[in-house]
Amino acid sequence: MGDEHTHGHHHDHHDASSPEIRVEALEDLLIEKGLADPERIDATIRRFEHDIGPMVGAQLVAQAWTDSGLRQRLLADADAVVAAMGLRGPEIEHVEVKANAPGIHNVVVCTLCSCYPWALLGLPPNWYKSPEYRARVVREPRAVLAEMGLELDADTEVRIWDSSSETRFLVMPERPAGTEGWPAERLAELVTRDSMIGVARAADPAGQ
Amino acid sequence: MPPDADESMPAERSVHDLGGASGYGPVPHDPDEPPFHADWERRVFGLLGAVTSATARRPGEFRYALERLHPDDYFDNGYYGRWLAGFEVLLDEYGIFEGGADVAIRVAQLRDVALLAAGRTDLIPTPVSSESPSRRVSPVADRVPSLLPPDRPVPAPQHRTVRPELAEPPRFSVGDRVVAPAPTQRSHTRLPGYVMGKPGTVVKLHPAEVLPDSTAHNRGERPQHVYCVGYDAQTLWGDDAEANATVHVDLYECYLTAA
Repeated sequence: MGDEHTHGHHHDHHDASSPEIRVEALEDLLIEKGLADPERIDATIRRFEHDIGPMVGAQLVAQAWTDSGLRQRLLADADAVVAAMGLRGPEIEHVEVKANAPGIHNVVVCTLCSCYPWALLGLPPNWYKSPEYRARVVREPRAVLAEMGLELDADTEVRIWDSSSETRFLVMPERPAGTEGWPAERLAELVTRDSMIGVARAADPAGQ
Repeated sequence: MPPDADESMPAERSVHDLGGASGYGPVPHDPDEPPFHADWERRVFGLLGAVTSATARRPGEFRYALERLHPDDYFDNGYYGRWLAGFEVLLDEYGIFEGGADVAIRVAQLRDVALLAAGRTDLIPTPVSSESPSRRVSPVADRVPSLLPPDRPVPAPQHRTVRPELAEPPRFSVGDRVVAPAPTQRSHTRLPGYVMGKPGTVVKLHPAEVLPDSTAHNRGERPQHVYCVGYDAQTLWGDDAEANATVHVDLYECYLTAA
């Protein structure tokens, strides 16, 4: 899909193929048939746009950075930790946390669709769902990560996790140096969405 | 679609099976990207529950609808454009809107109202027609899947798809060498093309799951042990492979044989 598409981008109500007009038609018809409830649609959108997001996973990671027992439990049985913390929601029926360490870097993808731990990270960004990422990161992970700003040493092992079953993966980035004594709430601000997918390190504490 | 003349890949791949496909450029990366880029994407997302409750209720069924889309409908308007096309296919196939005619007519009406408001009555076709494009889609495979494992009773599910345990012990153990042959026909599967026929090593067992290859086709749950299989990059990509990389794929037991 390297070519520029000339159609499908005139997103207005003058074009019967535009997604704006087609989703409006579908929503109208589903509501008229009693198959959709506009208030529920709005509530679903609000929940995933504002209430669920990377901050959920970031708090989990930051707490594990400050609590070695929690870290061990999270790496051994993330489902038990997620349940004990009362975290609920879609796309986390079975979760595994993969910890980065010196010499080991983990990165997550879903080559067949766009599986992602929604209840821990919110909805995935477009780039994660793009054909470019899905096609390339399994084949040339170092090149893709370098393009995205993450250079890995040649002797660091790259472990790619392709989410082809119902298991959902979360990367635990390495805790940055210079954060000794920081409380979990402050550390959580360093744990970016990208770092939990594995395409970045945790943010630089000097920038906070 | 990119040209895919790569000999390391199966000749015929479905539109969604992208792992390792060649011809793609830089990832359109934005570290601060919001979940939605336009209001229509929000509306599509918000309709997921309503559409799948009325149509694709079985595990794998919605994904299979997306996999049958024409490449234009799969790629042109991104992830939520793909969902919207899938919604239209499912609502049509389930007969929710009488063969899709309702959607075409409503789309034409909405467009005509917009044209009227913009003073472009010259662009309104007379009479109002239902010429809006319908989705091109591959039919549901009719003879598949042919190689399903036996169905069997399972403990009461804790979740919709994931099962805590099966009565039958797993056939493979951590460290075993395994290979997943290419399926003989195309239907819903979670076996990525890029690992078909390549040897890998079991690195972990996941909880058992219902088999989407079966549930998507309404052929029973046929729960399976699920294995995390690690593939050395060299095995997958040959001399082009980057050094020191392992790709892990989660595979259902019935996909696998001993390597």
